[in-house]
Amino acid sequence: MNESEPGSIACHACDLLVEVSSLKTGQSAICPRCGHFLTAKRQDAHSKVLSYSLAALVALLVAISFPFLSFSSGGLESVMTLPQTPRMIWEYGLPAVAIMVAAFIILIPAATLLMLLFLCLPLHFGRWAPWIKTMGRWVFHLQNWAMVEVFIIGVIVSLVKIAKMATVSLGLSFWGYVAFSILFTLAIAALDRYQVWTEIEALETTHG
Amino acid sequence: MVDTHGVTARSRGLASCHACLKLVPVGTHHCPRCGSPMHLREVDSLQRCVALLITACILYIPANLLPIMYTDQLGSTEASTIIGGVVLLIKLGSIPIAAIIFIASVMVPSGKLIAMFYLVWSVRSKSQLSPRQRTLLYRTTEFMGKWSMVDVFVVAILVALVHLGGLLVIRPGYAALSFAGVVIVTMIAAEVFDSRLIWDALEGDSDYSKT
Repeated sequence: MNESEPGSIACHACDLLVEVSSLKTGQSAICPRCGHFLTAKRQDAHSKVLSYSLAALVALLVAISFPFLSFSSGGLESVMTLPQTPRMIWEYGLPAVAIMVAAFIILIPAATLLMLLFLCLPLHFGRWAPWIKTMGRWVFHLQNWAMVEVFIIGVIVSLVKIAKMATVSLGLSFWGYVAFSILFTLAIAALDRYQVWTEIEALETTHG
Repeated sequence: MVDTHGVTARSRGLASCHACLKLVPVGTHHCPRCGSPMHLREVDSLQRCVALLITACILYIPANLLPIMYTDQLGSTEASTIIGGVVLLIKLGSIPIAAIIFIASVMVPSGKLIAMFYLVWSVRSKSQLSPRQRTLLYRTTEFMGKWSMVDVFVVAILVALVHLGGLLVIRPGYAALSFAGVVIVTMIAAEVFDSRLIWDALEGDSDYSKT
């Protein structure tokens, strides 16, 4: 048989054809053969993605604008902001590491959130936008390279490492980044690749 | 043996778009829905995966031998390697944190390399052994990958935070560069590996690993 099968997914992990057209809102499907997640139909997925993404961007703005951690010893104090994390490593002669750190903790997550907005705004209002397919192609790939939650563990490990040397205190931006991390994860989790592309296809048909 | 009665997309002459999951007839060059190039399986999956794994093994040597950071305290400099950092944390009495760093920086990267080499070998030798477990091993490897960056982030944070004139300064070492390289290259190797090849062996027909 050589025709496309609407309503079916080929499991991305094992290639099994699975019929998912009967999936109801609130249900999710996993592959019966290998157990890999296939798709989930969620209620108000777009409005969830939009609100989490907007809130996450605000939290990121807080996280880059204020002191992140401060460190004091023997009357001397040094204060660190989030953008300084990659910048200092650049100044010590490791620009490649600086670019990676900046990309994984700030740039890629921010780009993912902006793409989520550009993707879900037109879908939410049922309007066609010329960039919608580009966003749909990139956002699912890009999100694998965001390391927001890994960075938070990194902060905790750093605190333990230097706690004996001096007094360390958490700044407003640290809490901003924790909020950012949670909201980012929620925004990503609310978006389903299969459902989004089904909607893009439907939108394209109705809007020519 | 695992139940293989299910119908795969390949056996129906269908390929799944890697970007938007649309099913199209095998041989279509571009996805009619999203425009991405179409392939039945990841192109040259095993060859590219092995090349990246070897690169990661080479980078792994300086990552462990060179210092990942230097601590300048009152005129004396102390260099510490990844393992040295774990030992220091144990001495400081923070066993849970030492365990996190040991798992993220030592066990995960080396375990990941071994697991990926095994998976490539098992596909090459058309193994029929528990494909479900091997898929799970692959998924776990893929999921754990980015957590190894934690040590690089720790160095970046300490370097940005600790610079108190001549009293106490922390500087990064070149192991940070090669270790970040190991993490990124193994992440790409996991992305390039196509776990559907594990299942193709069950259908037993021609070699699709190059298609």
